[in-house]
This record gives sequence, C-alpha cells and structure tokens, in this order.
Amino acid sequence: MKYEAVIGLEIHVELNTPTKLFCDCPNRPGDAPNVNICPICLWLPGALPRLSQEVLEKAVIACLALNCTIEPESAFDQKVYYYPDLPKGFQLSQHHKPLARNGYLDILVDSRNPRRLGIHHIHLEEDVAKLLHETEDRTPISLVDFNRAGAPLIEIVTEPDMRNPIEAMEFLKVLRTQIRYTGASECSLEKGSMRVDANISIRPQGSSLLNTKVEVKNMNSIQHVGDAIAYEIKRQAECLEKNEPVVLHTRLWDCEKQVTCAMRGKFSGPCVPDPAVPRIVIDDDWLALRKAKLPEMPIQKGERFIASYGLNRDEALIMSQDRELSEFFEKAVRDYLQPRKAANWIAAHLIPALKDQGKSISEIPLTPERFQALLCMQDQDEINANAAREVLLRMLAEDKNPEKIVEERGFRQVSDTDALETIVNRILTDNPSGIQDYKSGNMKVLGFFIGQAMKATQGKANPKVLNELFIKKL
Amino acid sequence: MNSNIFSFSAEFGTEAGQGGLRVAIQPNMSCRGWPANAGSKALENFIALEDATVIRLLRQAGARIAGSTHMSELGFGLIRNTGSQAVSENLADVALITDNMGEARIAAARAGLPGFKPSYGIVSRLGLIGLIPSMECWGILARKVSDIKSTMAAICVRDEQDFSMTGNTLPDFTISRPFNETLRVIGVAEGYENNLTKAESVSWEKALSALEQAGFKIEKIRLTDAALFSSVHNVIGAVEASSSAGKYDGVRYGHRASNAGNWNEMYLKSRGESFGTLMKAYLFQGAYFQFKNYVAFENACRIRGRLLDETMRAFSQVNWMASLTIRENRDACKASNITDIYKAFSFTAPANITGLPALQVPGIALCGNMDLGLQITGPPLSDRELLAFGAYLGPEKQGGSAK
Repeated sequence: MKYEAVIGLEIHVELNTPTKLFCDCPNRPGDAPNVNICPICLWLPGALPRLSQEVLEKAVIACLALNCTIEPESAFDQKVYYYPDLPKGFQLSQHHKPLARNGYLDILVDSRNPRRLGIHHIHLEEDVAKLLHETEDRTPISLVDFNRAGAPLIEIVTEPDMRNPIEAMEFLKVLRTQIRYTGASECSLEKGSMRVDANISIRPQGSSLLNTKVEVKNMNSIQHVGDAIAYEIKRQAECLEKNEPVVLHTRLWDCEKQVTCAMRGKFSGPCVPDPAVPRIVIDDDWLALRKAKLPEMPIQKGERFIASYGLNRDEALIMSQDRELSEFFEKAVRDYLQPRKAANWIAAHLIPALKDQGKSISEIPLTPERFQALLCMQDQDEINANAAREVLLRMLAEDKNPEKIVEERGFRQVSDTDALETIVNRILTDNPSGIQDYKSGNMKVLGFFIGQAMKATQGKANPKVLNELFIKKL
Repeated sequence: MNSNIFSFSAEFGTEAGQGGLRVAIQPNMSCRGWPANAGSKALENFIALEDATVIRLLRQAGARIAGSTHMSELGFGLIRNTGSQAVSENLADVALITDNMGEARIAAARAGLPGFKPSYGIVSRLGLIGLIPSMECWGILARKVSDIKSTMAAICVRDEQDFSMTGNTLPDFTISRPFNETLRVIGVAEGYENNLTKAESVSWEKALSALEQAGFKIEKIRLTDAALFSSVHNVIGAVEASSSAGKYDGVRYGHRASNAGNWNEMYLKSRGESFGTLMKAYLFQGAYFQFKNYVAFENACRIRGRLLDETMRAFSQVNWMASLTIRENRDACKASNITDIYKAFSFTAPANITGLPALQVPGIALCGNMDLGLQITGPPLSDRELLAFGAYLGPEKQGGSAK
C-alpha cells in the first residue's frame, strides 16, 4: 500500500529579550550557573510574577511576522508536573488562551505547487531550569542551574499540513528567516535558541484520516529534522506492514545511529488557569503601534528588489534572505549603476566567504561603501576581476578601504600598452610553434598566450589590452 | 516575649516609630530576617529575604511590628492561630491574619472584636506567602475600627510589583468623613434564616432589629446559587492551593527528606513529611480536581462567575449585604477536617470568592452572652465607607441598645 505522511511541528523559539519573562533577571542562560536568578524566577515564597512588556512586544512582533492574528485577550495557565527543572511544580504557559492564532507561511519546494502551511496558534511560555547529572565519588548527583528558568519562549504549533520531510525543512527555513528579520531570535537549532518537535503519523495515500501520531524530539539541525521525519515515516510504514499498531509516544532522534528510539509515553498534565498572572489584554492602538514596528519582510523586500534594482527572482531571493545582508546590499547599490553586478558579487563571492569563516556581515570590517568602491575600481579597469576578488577577501579581515589594499598589494591593473608590448613580444618570440598554430586557424592558442602574459604580470595586466595587442601582433 | 502568643518577636527598641500602632503579624508575612515558615514544616527554617510591601508601608507610617504570632499551616483555617490573643492581651493594637476564607473576621468575632477583609486587589500581596492567590488577602483584626482604618490608610497603596492589584482608583482612607447616612438599605439573602440554629436565629433577629431601630431598611435579595458558595470555594481553593504548594519540594529550601534514593522519592518523602494531615487532604483534593476531575473545576469557575454576577446585581438594589459572621456550634479554631472547616467558614467564604470588602462588627448579633458577629459586605472598593459604617454601628453608638 502507498502511504502518505501527516506532519505537524511544535517549535520552541527562545526570544532574545534582555530580561526573563516574569522578572528583571538577565536572559543569559549560558552564564556561570545560578547567577541570573532572583526570588521571582526561583519562585521563592511571597514572590509575585511580573510579565515583561518587552517580552510581550517581541512575541507579538514575531507572531505578526508569521501572519498570525493576535488575540485581544490571552492568559497563562499552569502546566502541572513535578520535576526538578521546575521551581514551582508547574510551568506557566498559555494553554486555553494563546497569544496568537491562525498564522501561515508560504513555501515553494516545487515551483508548480506553491504551498501555504498553516500555524494553529502561538503561545508564550517560560523555559525551565537546566539539569546536570554528574557523579561525585561514584555517587550519582543531579545539579540544577536556574539561569534558564523563566527565560521567554514562544511555542509555534503548526497545523498538520506537511506531507514530507522536505516541506518540514523548508517550513523551518522560512520560519527562521521571518523571525530573524524581526530581530526577536536567532532561531538556531544548533545553539538551542530553536527546538523542534515533530509529530508524525501516516495514512493510506489520499485518505483524510488522522492516525495515532508519534512525537520525535532531539534534532539539532534542520537537516536532522528532515532525517528524523524520513526515518520515522519509514518505521511507521514498516509497523503497519507488519500489523503492529502505532502507539502514542515520544521518540528521541539519535543522529549517530540515524534512528529514533522510544523514550516515554507522551506526557500530558492538567493545565489550570493561573490566578496570579493577570490576563494579557491587547487593544487596537497598542497593536497598531507594534504592527508599525514590523520591518519589511523578505518576500516584500524581494519584490521591491526586482522592481527597483532589476534583479531576477533568484537574485532577489538571495539578497532578501538575511536582513543584515539585504540592508548591506541596499547600501552598497546606493548611487551605483550596476545593482545586478553587486548582487552577483555578493552571492558569488561575499556569501561563500562569510560562510567559510562562519561569520555574519555585521561581524566583519567590510562596509557597503567600501564594497561599492571596490566594484567601481573594477568597473573603471583599475583592477581586474581576479584582483577584485582578492581585495574583497582581504576586506573581510582588514579594516582598510580597497584603494589602500590595492596599493599595498600592487594589485593595480597594468593597462600601459608600452609595458605590456614588451611582454607580448617576449612571449611570441618564445613560442614560434604557437604562432604557427594560430595562423593555421587554432584560435585557442590566443587564450594560452594571454594566460602566459597574465602569469608574467602576476595577474595585474588588463586582459582586454592584452587581447588587442596579441591580435595586432599576430 | 509571650511565646504562647508570639512565635518570634523583635525587641521593641529596634523598631522605629515609637508610639505608633503595634502590629502583630504571622510567619507567612515576609519581614526581612524574621522566620517565615508559614506555620509549615515545608518552610522549615526559611527566613524572609525581603520585607513584604505591607510591612514596609506600615513602618513608613510609623507602625511597629510587635511580633509574629502562631498560625495554622499555610494560613488555612484558624488552628493554633494566636492573632486575636495578641490584640486581646494588649501585646498589639492590630493583628494581621491572612484571610483565605474568613480567618481574620472569624478570629475577630470569636474575640468580640472588629475584623476586616479589604477588597481584592487594593493591598499588595508581594511578600505574603499565600495559598489561594485569587482569594487571599491581608485581613485585619483590631480593638477599634479606627485602628483598622489607620492600618488601611498605611497599606492601601499602589505597588507596581503586584500586577494583580486593581487598575481602578484605590479607596482613600486618609479622608475622615463620617458615615454617609443615605446608605441605608441592607440586603439579606432570601432564605438565609432557614438554615440557622435556634441560637443563631435569636442573634440574627436581634441584629436585624437593632439595624431597623437605627433606621436601616432590610431587603430580601434573591441569590439562586448561594448554597454553592462553600463548594465553589472548596474546589477552586483546593486547586489553587495545590498549585501554590507545588513549590514546596525541598529542592531550594524547607524540609528535605534525608534518605531518598532518587529525586522522585525525595519529592514524595519530603512532601509527605512536610505537610500536616489537614493540608495534605486539601492538596490531595486539589490534585484530584486537576488530574482526575477537571470538569468539576471548570464548573466551579463558571459558577463563581455567576455568583459574582448575582452579587453585583444585588448591589444595584441595596447598599450593603448582611449576615452573621460565625456559626454557633462550629468552632473554627478546632475544625480539623475540610468538611468542618467549610461549615465553620460558610458565612465568611463568599466575600473571598467575590473579592468584596467585608467587616465583622461585634456587639450586635447577640444571643445571651454569645456574640456571633454581624458581617457587613459592601460593593467593590467601598472599603472606606464600609469602615465608616462599622464605626457608626460600633459599641459607642449601638452599645446601649444591643447589650
């Protein structure tokens, strides 16, 4: 039988606000253990939670970026369970009345089949403490670090709209781009600022059944999410073939072995409205101000790049994916006549170089003005393309303008006909057989001659001038 | 220091503001450096790290914290509570007792004193080690209504740290205006008298005729679900208590069982050893509604909303609502199981459910030597007027005819 998968994702995103959700402690979980704590996030007797306005605002902006409707009234519930990572026997989350509902993201895996994937709701919740299990003189001990307790999270719960691992991965990439644009979170699975649980079930192709789902956790990259889903679909199909029922439970992805392993029955504790945290009431005026704070999002920006700068769709997509890079691009093409050239240089040289170095555009000394100056130097034949690439790489590390690097390194292009003529003559004298070949119709030899001349000038010769000289001489 | 009454007290000399009100508190009210065990082993040896907002405000107003009385476990009920003795024996002018279901009013009524529960959300709860967040408040017991008023004048101040405070303008207790005598209509729940014992009926009749003699008009008010107040309080109170007490796990403070094999065992043992029988029963009830009968909890929340609506409607017809404060043969200080507690507190719990201000007035609802207390409940934020009413009804005014 042919099966199709039904996939829904639950995505936790840690908001990068300066403080925690209910207190003024620094939101820096990575600091030395238990330094960012106070009576509120330790839930000491007599402490009262105070919802951070800043968290609420960032969360709302992130929800807007995911095309959600913000609820006029939302409220916190207590998710009751006992575990040492919870300082009070329950986790504050929004179960009954979430912050936002009915969002979506558009993905394009197959250009003939654009897909709009639904987001059921987004709610706010607090993170829990971190547990460390160690041994002390062979006695196992457990330590609790409360730095993370009370850190602000949003949980994005999608509709079960995805049908294969590719769609799930693409959804996550688009989601990451959107949220990064708002500046609310870095959304890094690798660094833990985004955590993804996948709910997967399978059914006969074409059916509208919703079968028992299995939850898979512990994926540390978008690729792992795809791998884990693919594995789980295969595993469930095999279960059905063998007539083994699929039971509701949670599995962990083991990326070494590339398998999922059963962890526990799926936990569901009661969710009781919390009487201590007041309801969040959002009025139209407040919301309008936050909507105004939402930056231009990548899709709109891409369209504008096509219209204003004449980029093609692929170029526009690449230039708009990352907010910082898109802003770099726009500054670099201000008063510059060849925006497509700038886009291609960014895509072909700058982005790969950044990736190699594992850096973002804001972490290097290169400014858009220097980048434009470099392109102009090349446009005016002051340097050739090879030299320009070389200078660009240097500008990633050196806080200097391109003119200075060109001078220091002697990259300035040699277009002086007299100087080049000497070299051309020498090469022709050294290669009489080449001249014969050329004259008998082998045009390829011209490329060889130019290559020799470039080598002789350490890449500084103007290839156009060389070309003309050789043709004249031959 | 009288250790029968105070579990801890500071030397008076160390407290500023000589000559101000002497205030007795309980060990669930945070007073920096003082034990704050809330009457429970679950908070064994816990010392308050900060002053509660109320403590800070009292001191600012020149009051002295006289000492910390004994209290019931986590402030539920009145077993072992010595707040009223501190006032009766003149060790304090005012005693603060957390009022979850009427503790302050009932302790006052039993001692023949005035006792007050303010409107929900007009006094900061920061630093109060509470149990039922949607109902609890700082209750006040004193020898004179005027001392209650002075206390409220000191502590009814907006606190930006307590987000559960009302957004409305707070009552101004510094105004000294006499009782507004146009507020003369007092509501009584229809059928209230049917469930009274003989002695209760006598007291009630006496209170009503005293009010009528003083020129008040009594009106019957229909409260269809009045019989459900106690059940609603029980279900919601137990659920909230179960959540509030969830933090007492022995991980960060309080009692931790010594010989546990793993952390689940540590939880079970620590919590098992920490709580007394009554508290355990209450927390079990709460967990039952959370895990096994959530529908009952949802129903209780719905009924609470209806009760609140009905009560508010009543206040469109009357200025005040009246009842007795305590029951004749239900000793709130000895009630040691949940059924008995809810019976003993059945007249006072409604104000905790609705969040309305309520005042226990002594010397009016009498049957022989027995004073069952007259409880007046006012509309939201009528606290100042209610205390003015209490002063108006006070012994200096009514004493002659009532006694």
